[in-house]
Amino acid sequence: MQEETTEQNNIITLEDLRPRREEKKTFSGYFMPRRHSGILFDPEKCTGCGTCEMVCSVRNVSKIAPASASMEVLRDEEDNRNFAILCQHCRKPLCIEACPTRAIEKGEDGIVRINKLFCVGCGLCTMACPEAAPLKDPVTEEINKCDLCEGDPLCVKYCPSGALTFTKGKKIRWIKGLRWTVQTVSFLLLVVILVGTFCSLKAGALSLSCPAGILQNIASSGTIVLVWILSAFLILGLTILAGRFFCGWICPFGFLLDLVDKITPKKIGWPSFLKSRMVKYGILAGAVGGSCAFGFQAFCPVCPIGSICRSYGATGTLNGANLGIMGALAGLEITERRVWCRYFCPVGALLALFAKIGLIKIVIGANQCKKFSCIQCAEVCPMGIIDADKLREGISPVIRMTECITCMRCIDRCPYGAAKIRFRWQKAVPGNIEL
Amino acid sequence: MTNGKDRLAEARRSSGASGCVECGRCVAVCPMAEMYTNFSIEMSPRGVIKKTLTGDDVIMDKNIWYCTECNAGTDMCPQGVSCRDLIRALREIAIEEKVVEDIKYCTRCGKPFLSIPVKNFVFDRLEEEPPNVLNLLGLCPVCRREIYMLRNAQVL
Repeated sequence: MQEETTEQNNIITLEDLRPRREEKKTFSGYFMPRRHSGILFDPEKCTGCGTCEMVCSVRNVSKIAPASASMEVLRDEEDNRNFAILCQHCRKPLCIEACPTRAIEKGEDGIVRINKLFCVGCGLCTMACPEAAPLKDPVTEEINKCDLCEGDPLCVKYCPSGALTFTKGKKIRWIKGLRWTVQTVSFLLLVVILVGTFCSLKAGALSLSCPAGILQNIASSGTIVLVWILSAFLILGLTILAGRFFCGWICPFGFLLDLVDKITPKKIGWPSFLKSRMVKYGILAGAVGGSCAFGFQAFCPVCPIGSICRSYGATGTLNGANLGIMGALAGLEITERRVWCRYFCPVGALLALFAKIGLIKIVIGANQCKKFSCIQCAEVCPMGIIDADKLREGISPVIRMTECITCMRCIDRCPYGAAKIRFRWQKAVPGNIEL
Repeated sequence: MTNGKDRLAEARRSSGASGCVECGRCVAVCPMAEMYTNFSIEMSPRGVIKKTLTGDDVIMDKNIWYCTECNAGTDMCPQGVSCRDLIRALREIAIEEKVVEDIKYCTRCGKPFLSIPVKNFVFDRLEEEPPNVLNLLGLCPVCRREIYMLRNAQVL
């Protein structure tokens, strides 16, 4: 009896023979990520001639047989609308998950390949793929999938209209580097070098203040001092010019949240009944009303941005309550990214009101993106305002500038150049689908 | 049912099932062994071929609905038996005779295109994916292409 059970345990499974490879996460991957190479398709240029299918089939089966190609052009003769089905070499390929024989692997170079030795041609990858890119050869019943011709795709070379372009992805994400530099410098300036700067600073004739603090000042004292308004105007003007640029690039507490986010990559989710982005306007109104009632700035004593600004230096004050509130708010980062900025920050709420009449907007053109399998912009967005479902349906999502902190992560990350920053009055996206 | 019997005989003949020597090579390469925990000899291509040859009630059998219609068994068979063609034919007969309900119908056009066990396998593997990706899996290949055309090729 005992022998039988040991025999049961000795059955060799696929897990023993071909274990799944864990993705390695390296430090350099943060700033110089792995290239996301792939072929981009422009439906406006495609004429539907099928040259790409032909050259691809020549590579696959050494004869011109478009059905044996690793790509397919869907043609609509009436409206001259064409669409190429080709592998996007996803970062988390669903085909790998679905393959029962584990014949599909993503190489170190990011190219997803089918190992013909193990492929049995069941076609489950075609079903699982959001693009239906692995194609079944109707004659040989083998699955053909693009392997980018090992870095020099024939279809791109021979495309007569230039509808297909090959991209090796961006090497260095310069916006990312710039943003982290600006955030670090402003953190050092606002917290370490100039104590209490963000809340109020006077350097000769120049003065600079937190707009929400000024609002509370006005409410508590009942008087309007012109200098106060002028001093708040620097940040408000910046907001009108560049959206909530302050939140994404300068705010020292936002920088702290970004740092905390780096050490808590797994998110447990924010309860949905608290997912109201109007709460922060309520807190702003409460702060102003409270200041009016009590006669002092009601919110500033507990403000985490103020706390972090006042925390450093010889005159630094950071009492228990401040530290506790700041720590708790930073700890909320384990639920979602930038929970404080999304739902609660009254400074952000005031800036959001000005960002609403701001001059710029972020657009993500679904026509340029149109890849159900990528959706990296929605993943990296710290405010979670990019509607991935809309993008998957091919509709350009509306990005509310009141919620956008202009961190430009989406622009930096998009491999297709679909995320862009535009002036408010510019046409949204060429070929945007109006529904 | 007579028509069904004729077609069953035709399926046996065209797939070469009568040439099966029960060597079991098709079972050795069958991906179903990795996909289903309840994999058994009745479910394996060899078992299905045996049942096809011995009885007419094979189309009532649940086990014919687990196959992914891959070509692995046919490639290995020394006798040239196409177990995939056999199972395809059996399924066609079963659908036409309306004896088994283990089939997934396209959510858009309503045509049958996939067997439920295979669909369940893929859905289990992809259960962490968002629902709109899974909705795509409920569409037959033809409908999927139409959806791609509608979504992606809109040029105004």
